[in-house]
Formats: sequence, structure tokens, C-alpha cells
Amino acid sequence: MPTILTINGEQRVSSRGPMTPLVDVLRDEFFLTGAKSVCREGVCGACTVHLDGQPVVSCLVPIGTIGEREICTVESLAAAGEPSPLQQVMEEHDVVQCGMCFPGILMVLTGFLRERPHADRDEIKAALAGNVCRCTGYERLVDAAVALARA
Amino acid sequence: MARPDPSTVTMNLPRRDARDKLLGRTRYTVDRLLPRMLHAAILRAEVASARIMRLDTTRARQMPGVRAIATAEDAPGMHGIGIADHPLFASGVIRFHGEQIAAVAADTYEQAEAAVRAIEVELEPLPPVLTMAAALAPGAPLIHPDWKSYEVLFEGGARGGNVAWEATVVRGDTDAAFARDDVVVVESCFRVGRQNHVSLEPRAVIAAYEDGRYHIETSTQVPWTVRNQTSKLLGVPPSQVHVTVPPVGGGFGQKFDCTLEPYAAILARKAGQPVRLVYSRQEEMLTCLCRENAEIKIRSAVTRGGEIAGREAVVLMDCGAYGGEQIFLTTMTAHTLGGNYKLGSIKLASRAVYTNTAPNGAFRACNGVYNTFALERHTDEICQAIGMDPLEFRRLNVLGDGDLGATGQVFEGDVLGPMLDRMAEMRDASPSKEHLAGNRLYGRATVVGTWFIFVGPSSATINLNADGSATLITAGVELGQGTMVQALPQIVGYELGIHPNNVIVRPADTDAAGFDLGVGGGRTTVSVGAASRAAAADIRGKILNAAGELLQTEPDKLVLRNGRVEIEGREGSGMTIAEVVQHLHRTAGPVVGSGSFTNPGVPSLPGCAAGHFIDAIDIPVFNVHDCEVAVDPDTGHVDILSYKVVQDVGRALNPRAIAGQIQGGVTQGIGYALHEEHTIGEDGCIRQNSLETYRVPLAQDTLPVEIELYEGAPSIGPLGVKGAGEIPIMNPPAAIACAVANATGCRVQQTPLTPPRVLGLILGREPEVELPHISANWWENVFRRPA
Repeated sequence: MPTILTINGEQRVSSRGPMTPLVDVLRDEFFLTGAKSVCREGVCGACTVHLDGQPVVSCLVPIGTIGEREICTVESLAAAGEPSPLQQVMEEHDVVQCGMCFPGILMVLTGFLRERPHADRDEIKAALAGNVCRCTGYERLVDAAVALARA
Repeated sequence: MARPDPSTVTMNLPRRDARDKLLGRTRYTVDRLLPRMLHAAILRAEVASARIMRLDTTRARQMPGVRAIATAEDAPGMHGIGIADHPLFASGVIRFHGEQIAAVAADTYEQAEAAVRAIEVELEPLPPVLTMAAALAPGAPLIHPDWKSYEVLFEGGARGGNVAWEATVVRGDTDAAFARDDVVVVESCFRVGRQNHVSLEPRAVIAAYEDGRYHIETSTQVPWTVRNQTSKLLGVPPSQVHVTVPPVGGGFGQKFDCTLEPYAAILARKAGQPVRLVYSRQEEMLTCLCRENAEIKIRSAVTRGGEIAGREAVVLMDCGAYGGEQIFLTTMTAHTLGGNYKLGSIKLASRAVYTNTAPNGAFRACNGVYNTFALERHTDEICQAIGMDPLEFRRLNVLGDGDLGATGQVFEGDVLGPMLDRMAEMRDASPSKEHLAGNRLYGRATVVGTWFIFVGPSSATINLNADGSATLITAGVELGQGTMVQALPQIVGYELGIHPNNVIVRPADTDAAGFDLGVGGGRTTVSVGAASRAAAADIRGKILNAAGELLQTEPDKLVLRNGRVEIEGREGSGMTIAEVVQHLHRTAGPVVGSGSFTNPGVPSLPGCAAGHFIDAIDIPVFNVHDCEVAVDPDTGHVDILSYKVVQDVGRALNPRAIAGQIQGGVTQGIGYALHEEHTIGEDGCIRQNSLETYRVPLAQDTLPVEIELYEGAPSIGPLGVKGAGEIPIMNPPAAIACAVANATGCRVQQTPLTPPRVLGLILGREPEVELPHISANWWENVFRRPA
């Protein structure tokens, strides 16, 4: 039975079974490859997307459980092609390395900073507790997020 | 010809690939697909050692969606580094838990997996050899009984039994040094575990067979190695293999070898369709080509005044079931464990030992990391034994201008000494964080380290376009380290007087670019950079000569700057570079430059080193790290209070990018020092098979690293650069282990320093590491015989 999903504001129909992890549907069926399938057990955060604005790890979300909730992926952050303020500050601080973790980190911090726009450094680091980055050692991308929260 | 001031090459050029990575648009290998693409899965052994009695794929071939199955008979060749000991598929015997037996391509991954489960395998289990002590024990079963028949790819290493390779250094008379009556003899033993790279993009490939050639699109650091090894394994000419590399989602050395590419290539040819093979996270955890586990015994004869009269050491490196990178890395013991300090005499043995465990490989700074841990802890034990301040001892003994290295090479320039002074200034400038320790145990240590730039051959071609932009063609790969998007365009832009953003960098393609050793060992900025600079210099000459004629000016009075050819001292004079190129199009043809580079080679003392791939290092790189720790006496938890780095970079092309490499590399080193741990069960399988059980550093584990870049040390690199990304990981285990030893008063002999291990040390319950399988008589540990 097909599953109707709302992804980045558009209705999409998935032909996959209801137990299929959302990340697989996003990547393999709709070619939204921004979310990365890295650990497939909810530990690394690289597949994070928003469900009704809340960050979730899409590898642990079977599509049959989503219902009418709205799915937003990293591809939706740049409205009309303009990077979001968070994406801009990450670019300006030159903190990206291999880049595989950033889609998940951006989705987590976008959700977090919406609720806590002036969060401090420790709070930002705590918000990132579920995101593995193997390249950067975190501090410089945290610096960038702190700069945005102070702006 | 007038050249701009070299300091103008330095800039914090931002990455050009950051935007798409942030937008989620970058297409890594794992994000790619082709029409009619199949998906592959691998059948792996679930025992560590066995004889294969029967392998039957009949039932699997009839499964839905299956298009091709490959086994040992499809890949007749063997590959390796130094020794060709490694078949693509287990053939006759299983040598490690996880070894590849067969590969299946099907319409979907699920179908491929189902077919893998339908392959019938009958095995006769054999007793596995799981530790190096067991492998070296008299009468141990041979993991490669036919080792003598293997093709030798690099001459010189002693081999035998379960020893895949032995490299030794003998310089001076250590017997006489240890017999002196004015020396104290200090002996230390160390053991370290494996470290997994955990690149977020796993190893991944898409292969196709088109027009009689294999096209391999892969997540690799070494496109030319993939080309050549695939051809060797498949028994086809290298010219029939074409390798291209999309953006790579992390490598750290894991992708410095050809690994999964040949499986996809064989399946693609058999099926007549493109094949995608991506290792699962579990496969990556269990068969990752880790930094190897190792055991080190080191003893030194040192005078009360702090002179190191003699040193002897044996390093056992577990290469797993096949020699791989460890055979090459035996070389690096001489330059790391034998590095840092002036030594009156030395004997070193470095042995790669076969075990029935997953093969190991290269990982950022490789054995330099644990050899530095061992050397620096040993140094502190020496200081304790002779009652000398560790910093004073290091100042006295670090290698300086004209000093001899372990293999007798003469070091050039005073580098480590001034770097220690710089660290002292950093320490003085920022107050100690001791107050943050509270009731916990506080310790601090400053340590040094020596690594090298793995130079070797690179080539580059540059097309200077009629719009004044340049297209740089190399086999360099962007893994995230930034070289391809920052350092190389900066070097070429500097040489041609154009902005680095006007330097287009072509992704690696073995059909377009000439040979290259690959991205690793800090070599890209140096070797690919030198080849690129030479190609740019070739073009520069052509432009200046043509412009000289057009402007009626001697070429040596002209400068290239801001995209123009100008008469020196007259800004805005002359013409644009684009105009010169357009003129040349009409008169001489398009403007192409080529460049190549290889290391000149540095002499060592003849007869000193045996079995080494590199007898002396062309570009040494030095580190000084300092850290403060607090150790909780109730839990054994180690908290890092401050971390400082002085790093030898030659010339810093992009200081901000280097800072990013140092922050990231130190963090990986902290993970290895404190909590990244692989252990191997009785079944020979690695126990930590996921990111839940293998703990990498998270945001709350890190702290901002304080960084000073030390510039000006001698380097043959272009514009005096040295690679900066490799070595930040070298010293954290040494710095942290020495600081923990100082905090607790305990003898730290192992990493990682997990809370249970540290608590065991504090409570006196942690068993001493003694290594009885390494003899006190150095000669009894080696095949080499006295000259």
C-alpha cells in the first residue's frame, strides 16, 4: 500500500513498505541525499530531519508511523536557494571538512536555535550530543553557532 | 623574473565546496546512482580460521533478482604492499573472521543479501592464532604456510614463520653503552589497541564495464593504487582500469588501499550492468583496516647527566591476516620511536606479525602515534630514574642542526629546541587550569614528536584558459582536508598571479591525470603542490616570454599579478593574462604546462637500516604538545583541562584551515588516548561492531585547542610548506598518558585510558604489561644477524 508523505512542503507517494526507514525513502526513492545513512541505529545523527519542526533521526522512523506530520530535510533550509543564517555562518567560519555530518548538525541546530536563539556555548554543545563529527573536533563549528546566537 | 613576496601566498581562503556540503547537495560516492545499477553484498566468514571444504552457489544463483556471483576463481591475483600475500576472496582457507568468500550482485541490496545467505559453505574449523604472543610462540600454526612462494614486491625485509616483515636498525655499539658503569638502565613495556577510522562515508564504489574497460567510481585516497591493484587482482592490463573519485566523506588512511573496488568491478563485468557496493557500518567496524594493536619493549642506557648512550627496542605490530600497510609501516619505527632524541647507539626491530584477525591498515600518522606514546612515556620514566626534570631532559636531547637520526641521517636546522621554547612561552602566557581540578588529581606534561611527510611521485597539468582562468589536473583527492580546494589553488594562483578562485581543480581521474602516490602521509600539499607549482612555473615562463614580446620589455622586468602581466613597479601597466593567452592561441596554440615531482632522497648511514622502505626521511615534521588533566580518583575518569600545540608547518599557506586540521586531529588523538577501544573475542571477531559500542569523541568531550604554528623550518616542499593535516594526531596519547602518570603517580603502559583502566592503576589492580615474548637479548628477537 503506498504511503503519502509531506516532504519539504510537497506531497509525495512512497511505494515502500510502512516499516521502511524514512532515510531510505528520502535517499533512494526521492533522491534527497542530504540526509546521510551512516550508523543506521540512531547514534550518529547524520540522518537527522525535522518532523513537524522537531529533529528526529530518520533511520529510526518507519514511514508508516509518520502520518500527516510534515517532513523537512536539509534541502529545505536554503529558502529560494539562499543559505540560511546558520548555513551562512558555517560557511563564513570555514568549518566544513568532509561535510558528511553537517546536514544532521544543521538540522539539529536549526531546531535548537529556533527554540533557544541566544543559547550559550555549553547549551549548543549539549544540543549536539547526538551528532558524530569525525573531522572537525567540533569546537570551531560550535564557535560559528555561538557567533550566530550572539548576533 | 620578478616574483611576488612568498608571504602573499598565505591567506585564509575559504573552501569552495563548503556551500554545497552545507546545502546537502554534494554527491559523495554513496549518493550516486546509475541507470540499471545493481547492488552488491559480500559473504563473509564467521570463523577466524578454517579450511573451506565446499562452496556451492547453485541455490543462490536461482534467487530472485540475482545477476552475478563472484568467488575466488574470478580473481586469480594476489596483492599487497611489499609482499603479495592477499587474495581477493578466501581461497582454500579462511584466515580471519569477516574474510570475503563470495560477492553477489542483484537488483536490490535486500535480494543480494538474501542470495548471500543462500550460498552453501562447508568449513572445517582450525585453531585460530589470535594474538602476537601466540603467533610468535614456538610451534605456532603458520597463518601463511606458503609464505616463501609469495611474490616479493619490495626487496629487503627479513621474513619467516608468522613474521610478515622485519625491519631493523643497528647503529653504534649498544652493548658497550649498556655495559658502561656510569649509566642507569631503564626498561619500559607498552601495549596499545586498535583504532577505527569511523569515516562517516563508508568505503563505497560504483563500477561499470564499458567499451572493454572498467570504470571505477570510488571513495578512495589512492586512485592510482586502485587502478593498479584492481588490474593485478583481476589479471587484466592496468590500462583497462579507469578510476574517478567523487568528493570523499572522510578517509583518515582507511581509504589508502584498494579494498572493495575489485569486487564491484568483477560483478559489473559479469552482469553487464553497473554495480554499487557500499560497506555497512557493521562491516566497517569489523574489517576496517584499523590502526594496528602493538606491543613495545624499549630500554635505554642513560647517564646521570641525561645523555642517552644506548637504546634498544622491539615493536610488534599486528598486521592481522595479511601484511598490507603494516609491512611498509615497520619502516616508521626508526623515524618515530627512533626519533626526537640524540642517541649514542641504537638497535631497533619492527616486526609485522600475522594473526587470524581482521587485517589492519593505515591511520593518520600510523604507528607514529603509539610509538610516540611509548617513547615519551619511556622518556619520563628515564627522567624519574635519573632525577631530572622532563622538560630539561628534552631540551638537552632533542635533535638539532647536524645531529644524527636513528638511521644516521643528518638533521638540518634547530627546530624542536625553539619549538619547546615557544611552548614555554605559551605556558607562561596562559594561567594553569589546575584550579579546575578541584578535589581530583592534577597532572601536566609536555611532549615532543617526530613524523615525516610521505613524499614520492606526483604529477600535474595546467591549462591556462583564454579567459585567464587555469584548470589544474592532478590525481589529488579532496577528503575533507582542504588541500584540493585551498592549498593547491593558492599555490597555483600565487605562481600565475591570478586569484585562487580562478584556479579550477579537476577531480581525480586516472585517465586525465598522471601518476600519483595518493593522498596520505601529509604529502598532498607537498608533492602534488610541488608538481602543480612546477606546471604553473612552466606556464609562467610562456606567458612572460610572450608578454615580453608584446610589451617590448625584458621578461625579467615583468610580474604576474591580479590577473595581469605588468611591468615591475608600474601597477596597472601591461595587459591582462587573458589577452596574452588569446594572443598565444593565434600564434603558438593553447597554453599548457606540466610538472612533476618526486622526493630527492636523503642519505642514511650505509649498513644501518635493513628492510626499510625509506632509510631516511626527506621532510621531518615536529610537534610539541602540552596538556593538563584532572583524574577522578573515585571513577578513573580523565578530564582534559587544557591542550596546547606548537606544530612545525614549514610555511602556513592557510592558517585557519590548518587550525581546523589541528583541532580535528587532536580530537581524534584524544579519542584514541581515552576511549576508542577495539577488543577481539575468543572467536576472533572484533567485539565493538557499531558506534554504540565503539565510542568516538562527541561535542561535549572536546575543548578548544590552543595553537601556535611554527614556521621557517627547512623543507623541500613548494614555498617551504610541510603537510599539516597528518600530524596533529601524533602526540595526544603521549601527552595525556604522561599527564595521567604525573597526576596519579602510576606507571601508564597502555592506552586507551578508559575509566576502568585508570581506576585499576590507581587501586593497584591493573596488571603490569611485561611482554615475556620479547626477549631481553635484542638479537634473539630478530632474523638479522650481527655483521
